[in-house]
Amino acid sequence: MAFNYDKYLRVNKMPTLWCWGCGDGVILKATIRAIEKMGWDMNEVCIVSGIGCSGRFSSYIDCNTVHTTHGRTVAYATGIKLAKPHAHVIVVAGDGDGLAIGGNHTIHGCRRNIDLNFILINNFIYGLTNSQTSPTTPRGMWTVSQKNGNIDPTFDACKLAIGSGASFVARESMTDPKKLEKILVKGFSHKGFSFLDIFSNCHINLGRKNKMVSAMDNLKWIDDITLPLKKWEALSEEEQLNIFPTGVLREVEQEEYCDMYKEIQKAAQGQRPKITQDDFEKKI
Amino acid sequence: MGTFKTENPGNQPVWINTNNCKACDICVSVCPTGVLGMVYDPTSTLGAMISIDYPEACIGCNECELTCPDFAIYVADRKELKAAGLSFAKLTDEAKKRQEEIVANNFMSIKQKGAK
Amino acid sequence: MREVISTGNELAAKASVDAGARFFGGYPITPSSEVMHSVSDLLPKVGGTAIQMEDEIAGISAALGASMAGTKSFTATSGPGISLKAEQIGLAFIAEIPLVIVNVMRGGPSTGLPTRVSQADIGQAQYPTHGDYASITLCAGSLTECYTQTVRAFNLAEKYMTPVFMLLDETIGHMHGKADLPDIEEIEASNVNREKFHGDPADYKPYKAEMNKPAVLNPMFEGYKYHITGLHHGDEGFPTEDAQQCEFNIERLVGKINTVHLENNGLDDLPDYEEVDLEDADICIIAYGSIALGAYEAVKKLRSEGIKAGLFRPIMLWPSPINRLEEIGKKFENRIMVTELNMGQYSKEIERVIKRNDFTTLLKANGRPIAPAEMVAKVKEMI
Repeated sequence: MAFNYDKYLRVNKMPTLWCWGCGDGVILKATIRAIEKMGWDMNEVCIVSGIGCSGRFSSYIDCNTVHTTHGRTVAYATGIKLAKPHAHVIVVAGDGDGLAIGGNHTIHGCRRNIDLNFILINNFIYGLTNSQTSPTTPRGMWTVSQKNGNIDPTFDACKLAIGSGASFVARESMTDPKKLEKILVKGFSHKGFSFLDIFSNCHINLGRKNKMVSAMDNLKWIDDITLPLKKWEALSEEEQLNIFPTGVLREVEQEEYCDMYKEIQKAAQGQRPKITQDDFEKKI
Repeated sequence: MGTFKTENPGNQPVWINTNNCKACDICVSVCPTGVLGMVYDPTSTLGAMISIDYPEACIGCNECELTCPDFAIYVADRKELKAAGLSFAKLTDEAKKRQEEIVANNFMSIKQKGAK
Repeated sequence: MREVISTGNELAAKASVDAGARFFGGYPITPSSEVMHSVSDLLPKVGGTAIQMEDEIAGISAALGASMAGTKSFTATSGPGISLKAEQIGLAFIAEIPLVIVNVMRGGPSTGLPTRVSQADIGQAQYPTHGDYASITLCAGSLTECYTQTVRAFNLAEKYMTPVFMLLDETIGHMHGKADLPDIEEIEASNVNREKFHGDPADYKPYKAEMNKPAVLNPMFEGYKYHITGLHHGDEGFPTEDAQQCEFNIERLVGKINTVHLENNGLDDLPDYEEVDLEDADICIIAYGSIALGAYEAVKKLRSEGIKAGLFRPIMLWPSPINRLEEIGKKFENRIMVTELNMGQYSKEIERVIKRNDFTTLLKANGRPIAPAEMVAKVKEMI
């Protein structure tokens, strides 16, 4: 017996619709293994995805799943979590989904610090729609929407999440599934908004036109642009320029939104005084 | 429609589900001991299919299973294998060398003739 | 019967809570903001949640998420907000997620006339988003109706598993006065909750519905795990492009709404329209929303001058009460005057139904109401 993936998958939906060697499948597998580690009852788990290749993620896991519109995953998940705070809600979005069209919702999910687990599958391109520039596409790479080379600056998603107030921010890539599983478990265990920037490959729509023809070439490139935080910190500023630190980048205890809303309910029901500035250590 | 094969088909250290394999080569690339290789298969989309050529060399590192995006390859549970009186192999120089050859052969099984 | 002094917006908020809504997601917009202001206290009082989201899209998205989870849910906005919410409304149609959308209408297009009255969003309520579907739209013509029709909107949403538009206009929304409301026990006793599947989870097919029947979507986290998607889907909710299935889906989505009148809603005794002095009338005024308030006065004035006028006031705008409109078309021939605060959006529906365009219209789209005197003058021109 190997690890029992059957328990968590909608077996009759296999094989997945993703291309050969797609990192989405590796992240799907790591997510399943992390859920097993958490010991969650699948009836209590909800997976919300958006549009793009990552949008199909939700349909493969046997739990309460929602395939929403482009970019609105965090907003839908916020409604689900606030309506049923006991649920474990995982949001899956791509770099276009979560950082471009849905950037606003990502920012405000982080700011509220609502207990969602946000998996950003960051493959540096719009894959499903065939190679358009995404907010994380590296400068100088070829895309179908910038055929003379991409000039748009690249988004550091984790910096955005930290700046917006997410209480758990981590980056990992799917090139090391064991590390990925560990970081997912950490994120899932954290109370508050867990922002997980997971680097993934798209050798089909990023790689083929950018000298990374196979999955392995694309994975090697991801390895080349990532370094564990400690090692990254030891680099000079110049060396850091084109490398992303991996691992847990921020982990703090912070008031969680559903918990705070319970206080609102108590105040409205006269069980406690109305909330004032005195209730908060950090007021502004 | 794919079916899963999480059950060990019979005291194997590593086994595959060809229904799910899309022939991406990743498992072959991560194997440290040259257990795996791609073989020609005209019925597969990419014209190739995964093959377990040297199961006796499997060290049970699980890398192939974890990096497979398609739930197409499985590695036995160490304890279960032991209970059946079997064990995973140790990493040998011969196995390392074989893996290098397979990578050099563009992930094709060295038992296959010609290049991909 | 309860007597309250309130505004239209506040009554819509109160009605939502009484109808069983426990979640509100919204964003501030004039002239509907007071709905959110009210529920920010009303909902937590009863253990519910009201959240002001980061934008209009997030407001409806959160509300839809809560509804998917199984909580009666709603949002409130005005025309520009509906424009932004359009895509999510489409998801609610195809995925059959019940939701009440309160639209307090103001002048448009674009930012238009934020603080002034209009009825120019009724076309938008009929077709708020791309694709094929049919919409249910109610329109309040009094303070009491801001309450009773909002309750009805929730019941329709739950019964037909669809988004329902509750239209107020700026005048009704901000009108402050006395309203007679049904007793709360009466409301609670007639509240409709979505159907649930109680069998073996293995047999559960949420979207396996007969033609013209809604899907049966169980609340999340109760042991019935399924998939919700904005893509066309089969019985189990998973994406499909099967031609027959897609055709069935669309025919069912449109068909289930078109049964609304046939079934007389099966919900309550609330009529789809109101008629005033129409039986012996020679002339029929057709008006809805706050404009009907002026039309009551116009009918009285005309009758005092010996002109037998009557009023037909549709309450359910979409689907429109086709059978009754046809009868009115036959009875009054060209002695019909349609008056509305837009360039003729409902007039076009009447033309479609009675298959004639020889009736008179009194239209206004400058953010000002239509005075009874204007209606009287227009009717006199017809004689």
